[in-house]
Amino acid sequence: MTDRILPKTDVVIVGGGWTGLTAAYELAHAGQRCVVLERGRARHDATHFAGPEEHDELKYAIRYGHMQDIKKETLTFRNNRRQTALPMRKWGSFMPGSGLGGAGIHWNGQLWRPLPSDLEMRSHYEGRYGAGFIPDDLSIQDWGVTYEELEPHLDFFERICGAAGYAGNLQGEARSGGNVFEGARQGDYPNPAMKQPISNTLFGRAASRMGLHPFPMPSANVTQAYENPYGAQLHPCTYCGFCERFGCGYFAKADPIICVYDRIKDHENFEIRFEAQVLRVMKSADGQTATGVAYQDADGADVFQPADTVCLNAFSLWNVHLMLVSGLGEPYDPETRTGVIGRNYSYQTIAAVDAFLEDEIITNPFMGAGALGVVVDDFNGDNFDHAELGFVGGGYIACKQYHGRPISYQPVPAGTATWGLEWKQAVRDNYLHHADMVVHGSSMSTPENYLDLDPTYTDAYGRPLLRMTFNFPQNDRRMSEYVTARAVEIAQSMDHVTSVSSTNLAAPGSDYSIVPYQTTHNVGGAVMGTDPATSAVNRFGQMWDHHNVFVFGACLFPQNLGYNPTGPLMGLAYWTLEHMKTDYLPNPRPLMDS
Amino acid sequence: MTTAYSRRAVLRQIGLGGIAAATVPFASVQHAFAQLDDRPWYYLTDAEARWLAAACDVFIPQDEYPSASQAGVVDFIDLQLGGDYGRGAGLYLQGPFRDGTPSQGYQLQQTPAELIRQGIAGHMGEGQVLFDLDGAARADAVQTLSERDDMLGDVPAATFFTELRSLTNEGYFADPIYLGNTQYAGWRMVGFPGAHAYYLDRVDDHNRPHRQPPMGIAHDPSGRSTLPRLISPEG
Repeated sequence: MTDRILPKTDVVIVGGGWTGLTAAYELAHAGQRCVVLERGRARHDATHFAGPEEHDELKYAIRYGHMQDIKKETLTFRNNRRQTALPMRKWGSFMPGSGLGGAGIHWNGQLWRPLPSDLEMRSHYEGRYGAGFIPDDLSIQDWGVTYEELEPHLDFFERICGAAGYAGNLQGEARSGGNVFEGARQGDYPNPAMKQPISNTLFGRAASRMGLHPFPMPSANVTQAYENPYGAQLHPCTYCGFCERFGCGYFAKADPIICVYDRIKDHENFEIRFEAQVLRVMKSADGQTATGVAYQDADGADVFQPADTVCLNAFSLWNVHLMLVSGLGEPYDPETRTGVIGRNYSYQTIAAVDAFLEDEIITNPFMGAGALGVVVDDFNGDNFDHAELGFVGGGYIACKQYHGRPISYQPVPAGTATWGLEWKQAVRDNYLHHADMVVHGSSMSTPENYLDLDPTYTDAYGRPLLRMTFNFPQNDRRMSEYVTARAVEIAQSMDHVTSVSSTNLAAPGSDYSIVPYQTTHNVGGAVMGTDPATSAVNRFGQMWDHHNVFVFGACLFPQNLGYNPTGPLMGLAYWTLEHMKTDYLPNPRPLMDS
Repeated sequence: MTTAYSRRAVLRQIGLGGIAAATVPFASVQHAFAQLDDRPWYYLTDAEARWLAAACDVFIPQDEYPSASQAGVVDFIDLQLGGDYGRGAGLYLQGPFRDGTPSQGYQLQQTPAELIRQGIAGHMGEGQVLFDLDGAARADAVQTLSERDDMLGDVPAATFFTELRSLTNEGYFADPIYLGNTQYAGWRMVGFPGAHAYYLDRVDDHNRPHRQPPMGIAHDPSGRSTLPRLISPEG
């Protein structure tokens, strides 16, 4: 069925987002001829994201103008194996991107590092609390890579982004005003922390009075003119309030187009093809290696691109889908709990806390940015004593001012009518006098939460849809209840507060719903590790079963930590690329014994 | 009178006279030509437009700020349903179609345009027509609709109701290029300055009112480039 077979390239890269373009940059400079296949179209911050046209809430935030075409590809969903999965017919709980830069153009820019203990999840908890502490129904595990190993790569990505923040642990020295719980960092952030509006400032003051440790959210919304290590020029953030779900026409939010693509696009070893929909990774006759990828080009022709090395850099869920439809690795079977592809899918537990403020406090919520927040990390990870709590994990509590876009930003106190004159008056009265808090919590993996292929529904290319089976484990509901209660306490102690309400999307008794937006932090499904029975790839991101296939992105996370994934997954990407360049490519072979 | 195809609908809106009097900054008629309204609907029928005006104005009634229909929400809905959104551009519509759990979300085979049309037809087929009721009875009818979990003709009442509320809210607050939020009614009401956004020197200037008047994507200071069609509830 192949219309055309192209000349072989050294490396073929599936997806032109953060990890794919970064892989192309690093490998092209290492002498590898790289072909990037991007399903979406070409676009650029300057030509496609400039205001005021980009500042269209309806088009981009409500109608998902930058997201992938759901008519072509979606997934099916059910809460448990007893149900029949049905298609996610419209984006909601999460919204994958498409086009050059991928979801990296419409992220918020919240740029975190994992805690050292996050990466050693199972051994850390067993070491501190005893072997029986972790609930039996969790399949959490160590990542196989340590914080010390990742630190230079986490640091480098912060420099690529021009990250703004204040170090709380500088080479082992705790610094008040930063995140005192973070792992040691070799240097401070490349740029100073963001300015803070009154809402976040009141939150920080309250948290300090309570003995907590507030700090400015680490941000890829850049705070001053900056040149990154690749030579990209970034500009200061304008606090325009059109960040998440929007591209940034100010060159102020680090994204893969301006930070990476512009710096590699003219390199002789780099080529990118747009509207190139990868359909399958092809395997050698003996099944031991991949031979390249089959894709449909912009004209609908079926093309085979042979390559020595295949890099999977699609969005987390679609990497797993591509492995399943290509027969890479052994699919996970929840009955026997064997197999690895699709295993340990996890998500994020999200709760919202609203504080309503006296009229003299004018928050001007439209002066916002995607990573404009003040955070306490006292209840994240294992930063607090879990011994008496009966759960593992935690989350950060942030007071944030992302935007005041009026279709969706309509805070009203609990008990307000949902329409009519009373509602209208309440929207008016509270729009400028509200502080917006989030509890951004971890999500533990379980044997019953997984990804596989749907038996009924197909995508536009005739492939089975990915099927997601997911509900929040009891562990995560208990965790979220606990941390949300701490967030409510902080909110109640803020100056000028008139009322506080909260909504927990992982509350006990309620099923995970695919309808309300939570986060696009879908993780796991092709997890990394040191045991081929419980991981799809080894600790270098290399598939155990096919040594010339390298996997990138949040699908590698064995469970989800309490932070946003871009920082950790880019640290992993640079870690993988370093080992590809220095160890694998000079001598292609399995980098670990299976 | 019957206005089979007339867009020169006569404004006898709920509380006529209230508009010009109460919405001083939002006077609907700015010049004589504004009344010469013969624009066809993109998608709606006259009856659907009137039904929507009646329902949307229950969600967002007139106070010091315009009601939904006064702010062009029906025009907004018409444009949305007549375009890509109404045709289901944002929906995976491959079958088989089955009823799901609430957590599985939208499972209808109807596009948004079909959902609204069939929902209105279903409601109108059940008895008293919404726009024939007085204000209090309309509010009661909408409240009743919101509490239903059965079918409304060919579509689930709850799904129809959710879509109706979403469209009304979007129309009141989206950029006026989409025909709602006329004269920046929604933006002025909350104090949102619009699409021209640069606050680097203001974000940490705490508690200072920001008095910049709204400005949308079309750079129109009046937010009035297209006035709402005039909808007569009486027909």
